[in-house]
Amino acid sequence: MKKTALMFFPAFDWSLGSTHPEREERLLYTQEQLFEEGVMDLPQIVQLNPIVAPLKAVCRTQAIFPSSEEQDLEAHRIAAGSALVMGDAWARQEIHNGFALVRPPGHHAGAVVWGNRGFCTLNNEAILINHLRSQYGYRKIAVVDTDVHHGDGTQNIFWHDPNVLFISLHQDGRTLYPGSGFVDELGGVNAWGQTLNIPMPPGTGDDGYLYMLEHWVLPKLQEFQPDVVINSAGQDNHYSDPLARMNVSARGYGQITELVRPDIAVLEGGYSIETALPYVNLAILLALAGEDYSQVQEPSNRRHTDVSLKDFKQYYQDLRAKQESQRVTWDKERVKHLLNQEWAHEDYSVYYDTEGFQETRQEYVRPCAYCGGTVVIMSKVRLHSDVCVLVRIPFLACETCRRTGLDVWQSLSERSQESHRYGSILLQNQADDDIRLWKRYEGVTKF
Amino acid sequence: MIHRMTSLRIGIDVGGTFTDAVLLDCLNVAAEQKVPTRSDALLETVLTALDALRLPRDAAIDQITVSTTLITNAILQKRLTPTELLLIPGYGMRLDALAWPVPYRALQGQLDFRGREIAAVETTEVQEEARRLSLINPCSSVAIVGKFSHRNNAQELGVEQILKKTAPQLRTTLGHRWGGANIYRRALTAYLNLACQDEFAAFADGLRQAVRQRGFTAPLQILKADGGVLPLEDIRAVDTVYSGPAASMLGALADSGEDMPDSYVVIDVGGTSTDMGLILDRVPMWSAKGAKIGGFSTQIRAMAVRSLAMGGDSVVQVEDGQVRIQPYRAGLPCCRGGPELTPTDAMCYLGIVAIGDQNKAAEGLARQCPVDQTPESLSALAQEILNVMSQKITDAVMDLEREWRDEPTYKIWQVLHPQQQGNFPIWLSGGPAPGLLRDLTRQSGRAVRSGTRSGLANAIGAALARPAFSRTLHLDTVVGRYRIAETGEQGVWQGSPRPHKEITRLMEEIMTRESERRGLAPDDWQKEVFDFFPVVDGYSAVGQVVRGSWHVPAGIMGRVNQ
Repeated sequence: MKKTALMFFPAFDWSLGSTHPEREERLLYTQEQLFEEGVMDLPQIVQLNPIVAPLKAVCRTQAIFPSSEEQDLEAHRIAAGSALVMGDAWARQEIHNGFALVRPPGHHAGAVVWGNRGFCTLNNEAILINHLRSQYGYRKIAVVDTDVHHGDGTQNIFWHDPNVLFISLHQDGRTLYPGSGFVDELGGVNAWGQTLNIPMPPGTGDDGYLYMLEHWVLPKLQEFQPDVVINSAGQDNHYSDPLARMNVSARGYGQITELVRPDIAVLEGGYSIETALPYVNLAILLALAGEDYSQVQEPSNRRHTDVSLKDFKQYYQDLRAKQESQRVTWDKERVKHLLNQEWAHEDYSVYYDTEGFQETRQEYVRPCAYCGGTVVIMSKVRLHSDVCVLVRIPFLACETCRRTGLDVWQSLSERSQESHRYGSILLQNQADDDIRLWKRYEGVTKF
Repeated sequence: MIHRMTSLRIGIDVGGTFTDAVLLDCLNVAAEQKVPTRSDALLETVLTALDALRLPRDAAIDQITVSTTLITNAILQKRLTPTELLLIPGYGMRLDALAWPVPYRALQGQLDFRGREIAAVETTEVQEEARRLSLINPCSSVAIVGKFSHRNNAQELGVEQILKKTAPQLRTTLGHRWGGANIYRRALTAYLNLACQDEFAAFADGLRQAVRQRGFTAPLQILKADGGVLPLEDIRAVDTVYSGPAASMLGALADSGEDMPDSYVVIDVGGTSTDMGLILDRVPMWSAKGAKIGGFSTQIRAMAVRSLAMGGDSVVQVEDGQVRIQPYRAGLPCCRGGPELTPTDAMCYLGIVAIGDQNKAAEGLARQCPVDQTPESLSALAQEILNVMSQKITDAVMDLEREWRDEPTYKIWQVLHPQQQGNFPIWLSGGPAPGLLRDLTRQSGRAVRSGTRSGLANAIGAALARPAFSRTLHLDTVVGRYRIAETGEQGVWQGSPRPHKEITRLMEEIMTRESERRGLAPDDWQKEVFDFFPVVDGYSAVGQVVRGSWHVPAGIMGRVNQ
C-alpha cells in the first residue's frame, strides 16, 4: 500500500507573541479536526516524529550570521528536522508522499539569516532539498510554492541553482508582503529561467488558480522532469485569510494538491486558524492520501467574488507574454578582493520585518557554462559592526568553480586574520558536503 | 502512596488454558490453585478457582480481584447484542474512508472543532429513525455518536431525547462518554460497550451472587486493560478487554525481585498465547492509541502489549523437516495425555520441566519423526522446537521494540536515558517459562530472568493491582465549556477567561471526588504540565484553551515475598 506520512510538529510552546498570527493556537484546531475525523486510522497514513535538524544540515543551506549560537533556533530546527525525517522516509521508499504540518514556517528565510523575517528563520524546504541532494544524490528538484506570499527566501537560496526549479504562485507583490515575486524575476545568470514567479490578482479563486496550474505550472514541471517535487503549502490563499484575498476554498486546495502531486508538502503560512486551516489541512492530507476530499467544506461563506475566468485568461496571456519578453541582464565586473576574477554582481537589501532591521548584500556569482557557479555573498546589518560572508560551491560544481570557491574562502579568511575585515566567513561546499565556518578570534569550525 | 494494606486479598486470573487463584496474606502467598479454563463457562471457572482455595465460609477476605477474558472472547467470537449505530458526521472526511466493522446510519447535524453548532439536528429525520428502529425491535440498542461530541454533547443528547420520545423502549448510549478526539474510535467503543453490556452484566450479577452465597462480603473488583482496578458496579464492560495482558505486566512487577533492572521486557508465556509488554522505569508502558480488538479500533486505554498466538500447548508439526508451531491448541500436551505434540512435550522430554509423562512426550515426538526414532533424534527435534519458539519470541520482541519507539512514553524515556537504547533484559513468566529460560537466553543474547512463581504471577498481579485513574481536562474559556475525557463529563465554565489557579482548584475538586469514592489518599496525584493556548479574536487575546491531565498511575501495592 502506498503510504502517506503525516508529521505533526505544532510547536505548542512557541510563538512570536500571544496575539501574533504565528502563535501556539495556530495548529490547535487542525490537530482537533484531523484527530476527530479519524485520519490517523486510515490504513495508508503513517505518523512520523520530528527530530532537531543537525546544524550541518542547516548551514549546508543557510548562513546563520554572526553564528548559529547567537540566534534562537530551537523551534525552527525542530520544524526543519521534521522535514528531514520525512525526506529520509521518502528517499528510503518507506512512504509514497507526506505532509509536514509544522510551524514555524520557513519560505521567507533566505541564503543569509540575521534574524526572523515574515515569521521565518530557517527555510524548512530548502534545508530538506539540500539534504536530499547531499545524502541521496538526487539531482533535479522542483519546488512549487503555493503560499499566498512570494517565497522570496526559497527563491533567494536557489537563485543561482540550475538544478532546482523554483515556482511560486502568489498574490501580486504590489498588493502584499513581501512585495516581490514579479514575472521578470527569472533566476541568476547561470540559472536563468529556473525561477518562475506567477503573481496573481486578488480574488483569483479556485478556477483561476487551477487554470494557472494546468496551463503554466504543470507543463513547466513536465519539461523539467524533476526527481523530487516539494510543495511549500501555505494556506493563506483561503478566502477567509485575514492577510490576503485570493479566494481559494478548502476543496480548491485539495485540487491544487492533486494537480501538483508533491512528493513532500511542507506547511508554510496561513493564519485563518479557525475558518481555514482545519479544513485546508484536511483537504490537502486527504488529497495526498488518495482519499475523496469533496465532502470537506468549511462552515463560513466566501467574502469576495472571484475574478471572472475570462478576465483571468487574458491576465494569464499578458503575464506570459511579459515573461517571455525578458532577457537575462547582469552586471559583470572584475573584483579585486575576489581573486581579481570576473564576477556577475548585484547589490540588494533584505528587510527583517519581525525585528525591524535592514540587511545589505553584495552578491557575486562566477558566470559558468558548466554549473551553478561559485557564489559569494557579502552581508552587513547596521546593528552589527562586521561584514559576514557566505562562499557557496554549488552541488555538481565544475572543477574550476570548486577551486575558485575554496580559494576565495581561503584568501578571505587569511586576509581577515590580519585586517579583521570580516566577522564570519561560511564555506558552503555543497559539492563535497564540506561545511565550515571561519570566525574571527575563534578560527575554523567544521560542521 | 499511603494505602491501607489489607490483610487478605484474592486474585483470580482467567487465562486461555488455566485459571489461577491466589490468596495473599499481606505480601505472602497463603494459598494457590490452578483449574482448567472452560471458555464457554467463565463464571463457573472463576467460582471453581475460588472454591479450590478452600477458604472457610465467612472468611474475612478484604478484596477479590478478577481479570477475565469474558469480554475479549465475546468480541472475538462475535457474541454481541444486536446494536444500531447512528452517526452525526457533518462535513469532512468520508465515513467510508475508514473500515467500519459494523453498519451505521448518518444523521443531519454538525458541530465544529470547538463544539459550536454549524447545522442543527433534523427532528423529523430522527423521529423517522426512531420508528424504523422500533419496527426492527422496540427495545433496540442504539449508539449515538456525533463528530466533535467530545467538545459538546448537545446534539447527541438532542437525538437521544427525540428517539426516546418516539420510541421510549430503545436502549441508548452516547459517544461523548468515550475518550477524546476520533469519532471513529468513539463510535466503535460506544457501540461495543452497549453490545457487550448484557454479557458482562450477567457475569457480574452471577459473580456477585455466588460470592455473597459463599459468605464473603469483600468488594469485588475487575482488572482493566490499563492495569487499574474498578469495583464491579462501576466498570464499563469494554474496559475489561485485555485485562489478561495487564495482569501479566502487574504480575511481573509483583514477582520480580528488588535487583531486577528498572526497565525490561515482560514475556508471559501461557498455554495458548504469549503476551509481551514493556516496563519503563518500573512503570508499565501504555499505548498512545486505544486498544484494537477484533476489527474494532477503540478508545480503550490499554498497555502497549502484544499477543503472539503461541504458547506451551500450541500444536507442533514437522513439515519437510521444518518445525512449525501452529497458532492453535488441541487440548493437553501429549505428556499429559493430549493428542498433539506441543512445546511442553519438548520441555518434558528434555527433562527441563517436571510436567507430565516423559514416555508419552517421547511418543508424541516420535510421531513427527517417522524415519529416525532414536533418542538422539528425538532430543534433536525437542531441542529444535524450543529453538524455533525462542526465535519467534525474540523476533517478536525486536519487532515490538521498533513499534514501541513511536510511543510518546518511550520517547520521554529515551530522552531521560540516552545511553540505554533498547535491547532490554527480559522477564519471563507463565507456566512454560522455566522450560524456555535457557533457550531464550541463548537466542536473544539478552539477560533473561524468571520468577519462582511464574505460573501464578498473573493472579498475584491481579490481587495486588492498585486502583488507578486519570482525569484529562479540556477547557475552552471562550466557548465557556469544559470536559473530562475519561468520564465524558461536560460542563459550563464560569471562571475567568485566563484562569490559572482556578484550573488547579477544578482539578483538585475532580480528583478528590474520585479518590474519596475509591478510598484513596486525596493528594497523591501525578500532575502533568498543562498546555495553555491563548485564543485570539481579531487582534486581542480573548481567552484560552487549556489542556492537561492528572493521574493516579497504575501499579502494584508491593512485591510478594519470595
